[in-house]
Amino acid sequence: MSFLHINNVHKRFGETHVLKGIDIAIEQGDFLVLVGPSGCGKSTLLNMIAGLDSISEGELRLDGRCINDVHPSRRDIAMVFQSYALYPSMTVAGNIGFGLEMRKVPRKQRREAVDRVAKLLQIENLLDRKPGQLSGGQRQRVAMGRALVRDPQLFLFDEPLSNLDAKLRVDMRTEIKQLHQRLGTTIVYVTHDQIEAMTLASRIAVMRGGELQQLGTPQAVYDDPNNLFVAGFMGSPSMNLVKARIVEQGGLPVAQVATDDSTLTLPVVRDRDALRDWCDRDVILGLRPEAITDPASANHGEGNIHEAELPVALVEPTGADLYVVTTLGGTHVNARMRPGTPLRSGERTRFAFDVSRMVVFDPESEQRIRDERTAETTPLEETA
Amino acid sequence: MSAASPTARRGIATRAVLYAILGLFAIVYLMPLYVMLTTSFKTLEEIHQGNMLALPGQWTLDPWREAWGSACIGLECNGVHGYFFNSIKIVVPAVLISGLLGAFNGYVLTKWKFRGHKIVFGLMLFSCFIPFQIILLPMARVLGILHLANSTAGLVLVHIVYGIGFTTLFFRNFYASFPDELVRAAQLDGAGFFTIFFRILLPASVPIIVVTIIWQFTNVWNDFLFGVSFASGDSAPITVALNNLVNSSTGVKAYNVNMAAAMVAAVPTLIVYILAGKYFLRGLMSGSVKG
Repeated sequence: MSFLHINNVHKRFGETHVLKGIDIAIEQGDFLVLVGPSGCGKSTLLNMIAGLDSISEGELRLDGRCINDVHPSRRDIAMVFQSYALYPSMTVAGNIGFGLEMRKVPRKQRREAVDRVAKLLQIENLLDRKPGQLSGGQRQRVAMGRALVRDPQLFLFDEPLSNLDAKLRVDMRTEIKQLHQRLGTTIVYVTHDQIEAMTLASRIAVMRGGELQQLGTPQAVYDDPNNLFVAGFMGSPSMNLVKARIVEQGGLPVAQVATDDSTLTLPVVRDRDALRDWCDRDVILGLRPEAITDPASANHGEGNIHEAELPVALVEPTGADLYVVTTLGGTHVNARMRPGTPLRSGERTRFAFDVSRMVVFDPESEQRIRDERTAETTPLEETA
Repeated sequence: MSAASPTARRGIATRAVLYAILGLFAIVYLMPLYVMLTTSFKTLEEIHQGNMLALPGQWTLDPWREAWGSACIGLECNGVHGYFFNSIKIVVPAVLISGLLGAFNGYVLTKWKFRGHKIVFGLMLFSCFIPFQIILLPMARVLGILHLANSTAGLVLVHIVYGIGFTTLFFRNFYASFPDELVRAAQLDGAGFFTIFFRILLPASVPIIVVTIIWQFTNVWNDFLFGVSFASGDSAPITVALNNLVNSSTGVKAYNVNMAAAMVAAVPTLIVYILAGKYFLRGLMSGSVKG
């Protein structure tokens, strides 16, 4: 029995079907991040868990208890809102203590709880101020304090960092992660930022158009995407998606990709059994930028490296890395090389492809072509 | 850049013309007040000498005393003070109750939307545009049925009913820009319908409360038509009493007493404006940008 169980949950607003049967289950202490583009239904799902939106169909279970019809205040859930939603006329202490006050906790105990949380979040000196006198980061802390003070079974975060400037966002991200590790709380966190999802989550649920695309650990979602959408959405710069053709060579399937002037043949390592059926058919190859490097920085030990000399279309240094663009299958492909590699556009250089990290997609259904046994991170398996 | 450059000179000239016009208008608008004030401190003999604009040669408070305590209104000679307190008895409950109901309506119409909430709000808005005269007869009938005719309570009811449209409009627009997330957060914290209203929304509504109080106070205090129609005799408000005072002729017209009584009638609204005026514009603007 999992701790939070979202079982075939639907949401309809009149004619529009916003959530089309979501199945997610997480354990106590998990950090689940719901990620997806705007309008994918992730905030709606969070509001349904909170009890602020009704459930059209399906079941929500928290710690074994069905909470479909339980009032928001009795679900033992706390939420941090995108706008922080601090009560403007109350002091910080009043804001943090309000939930306890509503639950008729005696004043003295309340004061102690507020002090404890304020100390944890290092906002002791702000307790007598009004929200209007606080900076963005301080408001964020107060909003978290209001959730923490109640010590609920489940925390919900609705895009809590989207109103902060870039630097503060990274700092607060780290703090949230530290807080989670220290307190061991169970968190459901909504964001459209895939970097936040990768860095914070113990489980990522990628959503699109009201449907769950993939549920898994950050690494699984990153390395082993279920479909083209997940592959393109997660990761920055995003995964290279290249048109190719599977042919048989020496009894094994290989992928052939058109370059500017010839054809590149890449051996297939993953999902070989499934790809046997795809011989002489078009597919889409997925290769992360870091799986295409210069030969010297390629991971010769573990990877399966295949080298080829290709023309350089563009060079983009970022300081930490050097992104080298070449053309494969008619589209630009990013390769991550060592910074300082002396390259100019128009030259030719050797690229090292780590084909052990290559994934293959069906261009029609946009689904991943994979062997049966490697399908470890599909949503159905997770919830079984 | 020298100070005497042509552009600078033209700027000063424009400014001078502007201030001259503004000053002229200020004088035009303040003139009646000036005449009222000076006349109310003059003796009758001095008034009869003419020269309306001159300052009183001999300052006297007698007209004020007479207006407050002994001027004849109809057959009784007790001044306007009784009617002044009538007006207070009407204004205070009418403003508070219509304001509270308007705040409540605004809260429900924005934060607890129900099917048809737009139609309900539209109808309430419509009530703001109904001229006073149209409802005189139906209202008289209603007050008769409720046995509230010719009473202060009846007049309070009329002003509450008439005011709800405006107060609802003010509060609805103000609460429309009040974040829904605050209500949701309070719900999660365990606050109920009334707690959210009294603890979260109302304390954050000071600007719009001030606007509502000023608006309702001036409207109810200055009302003459409802007062003269639904309350006569002892329960009449001060506006009606002032009219009766001026019309109760005992030979010589006591302009100084009339002016003093008019000032007494005008002072409360002036005080409200002076005390809360700076909030008035701010509050009117705050709801209007969004929603």
